[in-house]
Amino acid sequence: MRKPASVWIFIYGALAVMFVYNLLPFFWMVISSFKSEMEATLFPATLLPDVFTTEAYEKMWLQEGFLLYFKNSLIVSLSTAVLSSLVGIFAGYGFSRFRFRGRLTLMTLFLATQMIPGVLLVGPYFKMLTIFNMYDTLSGLILAQTSITLPFSVWMIKGYMDTVPIEIDQAAEVDGASRLQTMFLCIVPLVLPGLVATMIFAFLLSWGDLLWALCLISDPNKQTMTLGVTQLVGQFRVFWSEIMAATVIASVIPATLYLLLQRYLVQGFTEAAVKE
Amino acid sequence: MRDNYKGYLFILPAFLMLVLILGFPAVAAVLQSFNLMWVSKPAFTVGAYQALAQDPEFLRSLLNTVLFVTVVVSSHLAIGLGVALLLNMDIRFKWLWRVVAILPWTMPDVIGGLVWRFMFDTLPGIVNSLLLRTGLSTEPIDWLGRPDLAFAAVMLAESWRGYPYAMLILLAGLQAIPRQQYEAAELDGCSAFQKFLYVTMPNLKHMFIIALVLDTIWESRLFGMVYSMTGGGPGYSTQILTLLSYKQYFQFFNISYGAAMAVVLATVLFFISLPYLRMSMRQRI
Repeated sequence: MRKPASVWIFIYGALAVMFVYNLLPFFWMVISSFKSEMEATLFPATLLPDVFTTEAYEKMWLQEGFLLYFKNSLIVSLSTAVLSSLVGIFAGYGFSRFRFRGRLTLMTLFLATQMIPGVLLVGPYFKMLTIFNMYDTLSGLILAQTSITLPFSVWMIKGYMDTVPIEIDQAAEVDGASRLQTMFLCIVPLVLPGLVATMIFAFLLSWGDLLWALCLISDPNKQTMTLGVTQLVGQFRVFWSEIMAATVIASVIPATLYLLLQRYLVQGFTEAAVKE
Repeated sequence: MRDNYKGYLFILPAFLMLVLILGFPAVAAVLQSFNLMWVSKPAFTVGAYQALAQDPEFLRSLLNTVLFVTVVVSSHLAIGLGVALLLNMDIRFKWLWRVVAILPWTMPDVIGGLVWRFMFDTLPGIVNSLLLRTGLSTEPIDWLGRPDLAFAAVMLAESWRGYPYAMLILLAGLQAIPRQQYEAAELDGCSAFQKFLYVTMPNLKHMFIIALVLDTIWESRLFGMVYSMTGGGPGYSTQILTLLSYKQYFQFFNISYGAAMAVVLATVLFFISLPYLRMSMRQRI
């Protein structure tokens, strides 16, 4: 169908507005991180740095222990992604391939756990960790985040496995494969892209978390990226160029992951959340 | 196949984890709110809930949460629908527009809170600087220092950050509408607006409800952005329930009080999510 030129002008105009609206905060963040400490306090602010400098980044990495925070965040988020996908593969396969009593109820129950607000859980969970001597450990944090990302992972993985024809399982059974063999050797390789998308989603949820890290970690050496950045603001006079450098670092990984895998992610995400 | 009972075994590890790490704490929180767990002398009392009903700070936070979620979710659906409609057209460089459209959502909410806090900063912030440079304002406005403006600023920031989520769901819905329906409408002589009204909207209803429910739950649970942007201030003006519950529990150690607040929030969210859960039981998602 052909549209008149005026309609196209409106469409691209609207897209341009969206472009500016979406990117302005990113622009401001990146620009400010390359300003000197002095220049970041000027009013009115310069829209582009008079002098490009990476001093904020150098300070961030070398002085504020951000290398450590970065490492901690990587450990926590990667473990969460791997663990919740691993457990999720089993449950996803169970929901996709078996027809047992209470299957729908259980699936809905899994879905319902996602509606529980974190503030309800984090207090008692904190108490549990102190009882088991796991307060202030990364493993305690990983365990918590895995359970939060798990229901979503199960639903996503189940959705991907549903797209694999059941005949493959039947053929494997005829060949004498056990259920476990079928799952790992036949089904998992076929849903690998979906599995990657699931892992990335879990990784991102975990990477962006503040609440759980705030309540479960007190040792400065075990802080995650998000926790470290927020502590920076409260500590002393606000050095915005440094903080913006820190926020750039904390946003780079999620943004890159989304952009690299956006097709898989969007597809998998919408399949899990909405299925006609 | 005859080994359907094995399904339980496959689900068991996930089930146990959820019971232990989500189920148990949820029950414990309810018990704590009634002063029945992890206290020296357990005694059933609804004192925490009675106190809640008379606590102006709690009532203010409740009102703030309702207002915040209403405004933010409506704006997400409105902006999300607009951008989804744009992205569903035959535009050039589609992938580029799509990438840009998703970008705000990739920013963790804590980080978003910090960036917007700096944008609204009284002196070196970009908002005041732009207002001054364009001559719209002659003196800097204390955005985050004034209660009404601070609340609006936080809502604006979260409207920006969260809308791609609703957009993605609506876009998936738009792409699922069969082309034949539009062609039939054209044959009947429908205008573009009529097509939107009579073909797009009815087809999108299902997705709209899903986006509405899921986004409402996400936004009600929001914590990091408000924590890092205003910390609930000035005064209680931007205080939302999650933040207040966290403060009561972890900063003032009013355990049963903080737990009771979280229970109230969880109960409300449960009822909001009922339509979504019902869809799941009917296998419509």
